[in-house]
Amino acid sequence: MELVLFDAFNGLIQGTFYALMALGLSLIISLNSVINFAHGGFMVIGAYLAFTLAPYIGFWGALFAGPILAGLLGILVERVLVRRLYGRADPIYSLLLTFGLALIIENSVRSIWGAQGQPFRIPAGLDSPVSSVYFFLTGYRVFVMAAIALAAASLFAFLRFSRFGLRIRAGILDLETVSALGVNVYLLRAVNFAIGIALAGFAGVLAAGVLQLSPTMGNDVIMATFVAIVVGGIGSLLGSVLGGLIIGLAAGVTAAYYPVASDVVIYVIMAFVLIVRPRGLLGQEGLFE
Amino acid sequence: MSKPSKFLTRRRILEAGAAVAALPIAAPFIVKARGESPVKIGFIDPFSGTYAALGGYELNGARMALTEINAKGGILGRSVEIIPEDSAADVGKATVKFHKLVEQDKVDFISGSVSSAVSLALSHAANLKGILYLDTGGHVDTVTGQHCHWTTFKICSDTWMLANAITKTLVTKFGKRWYISTPDYAWGHFLEAGFASLLKQNGGTLLGNALMPLGSTDFSSVLIKVQAAKPEVFIVLQGGDDFVNLMKQATQFGMTKKMAFGYGLVEFENLVALPQPARTGWGVMEWWWQQPKNLHAAAFVAKYRKLYAKTPSARSWFGYVAMHSIAMGAAKAKSLESIKVARAIEGMALPPELALGPYPISYRAQDHQLLITEFVGEVNGTGKYPDFFEVKETIPGTKLAKSPAAKGCKITYPA
Repeated sequence: MELVLFDAFNGLIQGTFYALMALGLSLIISLNSVINFAHGGFMVIGAYLAFTLAPYIGFWGALFAGPILAGLLGILVERVLVRRLYGRADPIYSLLLTFGLALIIENSVRSIWGAQGQPFRIPAGLDSPVSSVYFFLTGYRVFVMAAIALAAASLFAFLRFSRFGLRIRAGILDLETVSALGVNVYLLRAVNFAIGIALAGFAGVLAAGVLQLSPTMGNDVIMATFVAIVVGGIGSLLGSVLGGLIIGLAAGVTAAYYPVASDVVIYVIMAFVLIVRPRGLLGQEGLFE
Repeated sequence: MSKPSKFLTRRRILEAGAAVAALPIAAPFIVKARGESPVKIGFIDPFSGTYAALGGYELNGARMALTEINAKGGILGRSVEIIPEDSAADVGKATVKFHKLVEQDKVDFISGSVSSAVSLALSHAANLKGILYLDTGGHVDTVTGQHCHWTTFKICSDTWMLANAITKTLVTKFGKRWYISTPDYAWGHFLEAGFASLLKQNGGTLLGNALMPLGSTDFSSVLIKVQAAKPEVFIVLQGGDDFVNLMKQATQFGMTKKMAFGYGLVEFENLVALPQPARTGWGVMEWWWQQPKNLHAAAFVAKYRKLYAKTPSARSWFGYVAMHSIAMGAAKAKSLESIKVARAIEGMALPPELALGPYPISYRAQDHQLLITEFVGEVNGTGKYPDFFEVKETIPGTKLAKSPAAKGCKITYPA
């Protein structure tokens, strides 16, 4: 029983990563109407930028610089590439664009930093368990959970209380009306895209502390992220967080009993949710139908 | 409520999500070296995906050998060319590339592979086409065991040799209560079976074996079980990114201070990717660059570093040996016909400037396994690049390998 609790808690930690990625992806899907296949790629970029900067500005500096630079790159991509797709009726264009972008990012990372995995050091103080009984609760994991919770809370506060955030939320509901009211929706979408990408970059830096820093690092996370937003409800930010936590928890508990099924269980959950409640747990009726 | 998008529907998003599944395997094609060279060797290795680094080292070694072969007049007076193809460590892709190389490029020989599954597939395909295949780095035992073919020669060791090389050391030094973590595919299963059987022979107890899918990122569930079982030795059989992920997480759990870590195979490429605190444990290297008494090895390392600004790994040596073996076999056979070259390589001993190790090594005639030396030692936790491993013992492959009969190999040539 104790083992199951360990695994359940561990699954929740994993779920926070999915939740952070899903938040960014969900923001971009909602306002930019783009299913961003390259989201995992931007996660990798954030991690590699942090890895490159860490020797000069330290881990803490890199933790912020990596996502910010990834976000700036996101603005560039949105301005140059994604923006051109907004008027196109067929979503196949955005699928092809971001799919190609994902391949370009993976191979650019490989040519710049090499196919060889890179050693990413986390601060020594975080590199050990917090307690000897709950050894799986390492300093770094506690820090990661706190950082993700803070990032998610900041995002929700930004969307709820800031003028810009309110416009983003309004844009998600009805972009044409927001535009008619004089809001610069191009700027709105660019900033929204950048925020989504910065969140992916932030997840990348945090993940590099526990995962191999390699060009393919994002591939493993991106599928779970898609599952998280489908389970939570496409278009619902809170649902994305919930979806991420649920599939993380399910994978963790399954790993305790039958490890080889831990990858499959998230798809089983997705199938179940789609059959019983197609809009997802917190998805609104009519949205994305 | 109005819709957020005229175009995006949930169904569209689900369809798109399914397509993302293709992303990890939708690897880009690498630029191919083409030319009008008379002798062509198809080199199928992963240059993208999880094993890209390992494939890159193998190709570098092969290319270095090629310049040496061509400088000495090529094979039978004809220059030699490598045509590299990316398998992304995927069986389907590797097979497609194989047929492209054989049927379109008309290559004379095939080499390469990191993944055991790909090695098996290439070995069968090469046999059907009657073309010589040198397996550089797919370790699975059956390639030179149950499923051996006259067309296939294997350079890296099999999993039994690896387990046999390190088991006694681990039992003697650290204890007999073991826990094993195994990647859930051919390589892992064979290696785990070898370790379990050898541990039993040495009077040890296997407390548990945790199977994890290949490509797992979170190993906490395994580590939690291992921690609860309190073994004296924790055997980690994961390779590539999986190995690095597991070791990073185990170190953060404080496990490296509580139990000994043992590995079936230690790869230089993985040690490079590990942060310093996670560099710990004992294992087997199939070749190691630091051999102070071996001048040939020193010359090889110096030349490789000059070419690639990196230190060679066992994988670099595998690629290097593959190309030279083909050249030597063809020269001995005075032919490019696969069947004649295969006969020539059978039993062939590698000269010291190619063996690059403390003992003579040769291709065993009965199963086509190159009986390489195993370098048993400890991961150097305090060393700086490339001093990541300290060799404690070298064991000749002849003392480690099972007999061809015990492996179930019986090679038959076409009449």
